Amino acid sequence: MLFRFILSRLGSAAILSVGIILVSFILTALLPGDAATSRLGERAAADPEIVAAVRARYGLDQPLYMQFFIYLGNLLRGDLGTSIRTQNPVLSDLAQFGPASAELAIAATLIAIVVGVGFGIVASLRANGIIDQVLRVVSLGGVSIPIFWLALIAVYLFSTVNRIFPSSGRLNPGETPPPQVTGMYTFDSLVAGNWPLFISALSHLILPALVLSAPMIGLLLRFTRSSMLEVLGNEYVRAAEAKGLPRHTVVLRHVLRGALVPVITVLGTAFASLLAGTVLVEQIFGWPGIGAYAFRSASNLDLPAIVGVTLFVALVYITVNLIVDFLYGVIDPRIRRA
Amino acid sequence: MRISRGGAFVAAVLAGALALTGCTPADTTGPDTAKDVLVVGKSFDLNTADPARSFETTGGIFGRAVYDTLLTFGKGDATTPIPMVAESYEVNEGATEYTFMLRDDVVFSDGTPLTSADVVFSFDRVKNIQGNGSFLMEGLSVTAPDESTVIITSEKPNTAIPAIITAQTLGIVNSELVKANGGTDAADASTTDTAEEFLNTTSAGSGPYIIETFNTETETVIVANPNYWGEPAAYEKIVLKNATAENQLMDIQSGTIDIALDLGADQLPAIESNPDLAIESGISPTIFFLFSNANPEISKVTSTQAFRDAVKYGLDYDGLLEIAGEGSEQVAGVVPSVFFGALKPADVTVRDIDKAKAAVAELGDIDPISLEYPSDFSVAGISFGAVAERVQANLKEVGLEITLAPSPISTALDSYRGGTEEMGLWLWNPDYPDPADYLVFAPDNIVGLRAGWTGGSHPDLVALSEQAAVATEEAERGEIFREYQLAMNEVGVFAPLFQPAATVVAGKDIEGAVFSAVFGIDLTYIGK
Repeated sequence: MLFRFILSRLGSAAILSVGIILVSFILTALLPGDAATSRLGERAAADPEIVAAVRARYGLDQPLYMQFFIYLGNLLRGDLGTSIRTQNPVLSDLAQFGPASAELAIAATLIAIVVGVGFGIVASLRANGIIDQVLRVVSLGGVSIPIFWLALIAVYLFSTVNRIFPSSGRLNPGETPPPQVTGMYTFDSLVAGNWPLFISALSHLILPALVLSAPMIGLLLRFTRSSMLEVLGNEYVRAAEAKGLPRHTVVLRHVLRGALVPVITVLGTAFASLLAGTVLVEQIFGWPGIGAYAFRSASNLDLPAIVGVTLFVALVYITVNLIVDFLYGVIDPRIRRA
Repeated sequence: MRISRGGAFVAAVLAGALALTGCTPADTTGPDTAKDVLVVGKSFDLNTADPARSFETTGGIFGRAVYDTLLTFGKGDATTPIPMVAESYEVNEGATEYTFMLRDDVVFSDGTPLTSADVVFSFDRVKNIQGNGSFLMEGLSVTAPDESTVIITSEKPNTAIPAIITAQTLGIVNSELVKANGGTDAADASTTDTAEEFLNTTSAGSGPYIIETFNTETETVIVANPNYWGEPAAYEKIVLKNATAENQLMDIQSGTIDIALDLGADQLPAIESNPDLAIESGISPTIFFLFSNANPEISKVTSTQAFRDAVKYGLDYDGLLEIAGEGSEQVAGVVPSVFFGALKPADVTVRDIDKAKAAVAELGDIDPISLEYPSDFSVAGISFGAVAERVQANLKEVGLEITLAPSPISTALDSYRGGTEEMGLWLWNPDYPDPADYLVFAPDNIVGLRAGWTGGSHPDLVALSEQAAVATEEAERGEIFREYQLAMNEVGVFAPLFQPAATVVAGKDIEGAVFSAVFGIDLTYIGK
């Protein structure tokens, strides 16, 4: 059953990926501009021989449909092409920048889960009290304050005025990244047992992750609160309390479990919006992630990189949705049986 | 219960991290405590570490420190080439043959002596590789009669050669090492040379620094060359950190970087009162210009002299300097004020509303004209959009209706290079510090053609540009370039607008961090 489920999901993911590649190709081709000359200097762009050499080098002298089929053929061999801008294999670029964004997104998500769900539970248990009112304002702020503004304020307060956190980058300038295991410096430096590098990586990660987590915290807080309140009103909860179970056991074992299903749904959606927010946060914190890479690739009409990033992001979405589906089953056995 | 324990663990880790990082602020905000490391913030336009393929500003900054050239420029100077690998040179009377005598003590970073064969290989490789900088070798050939002599021969008289060979693209590589790693200077080098990957990881130069790590997106690190033949490098390590101007402002204030190279005039007030920072200002050799397409097939209006006069006299040049920011200068002709052959400040075009209105009246009833410019590109903090809006307002005051047509640079370049823009707002960065580089604005030349300007309409100007290209005697050459620019201004296809200010912001204790009109900044002079 599970095997068939995974197979069907992977099948639809493959079809979706081909569609995404096709749309990326067509959209990029529709844009005015010439990818071959956009990276050339003024004199070189005026030299037809040089332009022709660049076109041949990147396969841009082929008709678009041929480029598409060549790309698909290469993709089956695990080759995403070579970036026109960085001149690296797109796969190696993604391996460099993808983990940077993933590290930021995962850290932000963890912070959001701990803070958002934690305060959501507190708010529901103190519904309409002063703590609930304060948390409501916090939640509203998290959702409504523009992330770029929050980022600028955070840098000003914690980097410029008080030099608590570095203002940009993933490591101190000149520090050598840890040997790549996941590409996430905090994790990799721990694996390497390099504590100074771990501290450096963590100190660079905290501020952008906190900023990025703000909207998600607000969202999770509200959803956890309302979902908890709904479950708290159920008869089985009152029955558990009537049996004399301690309050924390009732909340954590009976209420929270039931309340988490809608929260996880929101988490999936929030993760998607978090990826969008990553672009802004990466820009402000000089975080060399996939957002900044995508922006620069699009600005340079770098087709292989654009398609590579689109594919990468699509796969992240598909994977997150898959994980969310599985988590439903773990939390609510009725879904698994259905 | 699992969730609760996990949450507690994450909270504990974060709390611990906050405590650790909070306790050690100085340790986490960059290596400003270590004098042996210099961190330079730059918005990267870096593509490659291979000098023959490199032609961008960041590549020039990096390349200047790693690869020596035959001649170079002194600190902050952009007018007089001085000896480097060549200790002296002679030129024949017709300026067609330059003979360079090489120093005998120059060695590459691996200890191999640098000889004339390395110079010939490096120059021929640039010529044949068909890269952005290959045009530098156009019409030139290079030979080596002996180990310490290099002769550059030009098809036409060419007094720009000493300036041209200071370009980092013509940095001298260790020919044997590069050949052993796929390099070639053969005529088919564009398809057979495979040394770029090697040169992106390993130094093959004789400069004071060598590559430690090269990354076009994050940071590039160079370290002192232990075998350097000249005065030793001032820093053990220099980190070139990729950062936007906004990030550089934050980084220089937080101490993450020691030098910021891209701060615009509008950002400087934020740090002017900072006692730890020094602001060095100069004038950039970049010129912003406006053009009116001279091709009647593109526009029957912009191709008229009346339209060009309306634009030329209708622009409020002083007002445009407000947009360009403090320290910027109106440029009198197409040659920037920092180079030989520039017009004098008194030659600048002055706004004359009456003349502009008379020209508009001559045009009669016309449709609005489209002004194209790149919308996602700024230089020294100057946005093209802000300049275009001011141009639109200026010309409206004299009765010309302009429609703004911004687009991303990758698409705007297409119409600009295709010569299809009615009006365009662009800039020109020097390829090398000599007025000959500005002959591209002449009719029938690269930029001239982008403005739809062919030689048939102004044969006198074509003749002047040809004369300027081959003039050899300095005073005569200067006079011809002056005539060329005044005649260009008279026609008015191009309206030179301004040169922005160029600023280097550095920690007070850093010596020699001055702007260079040739390299942006010369890292080899810092700390000396």
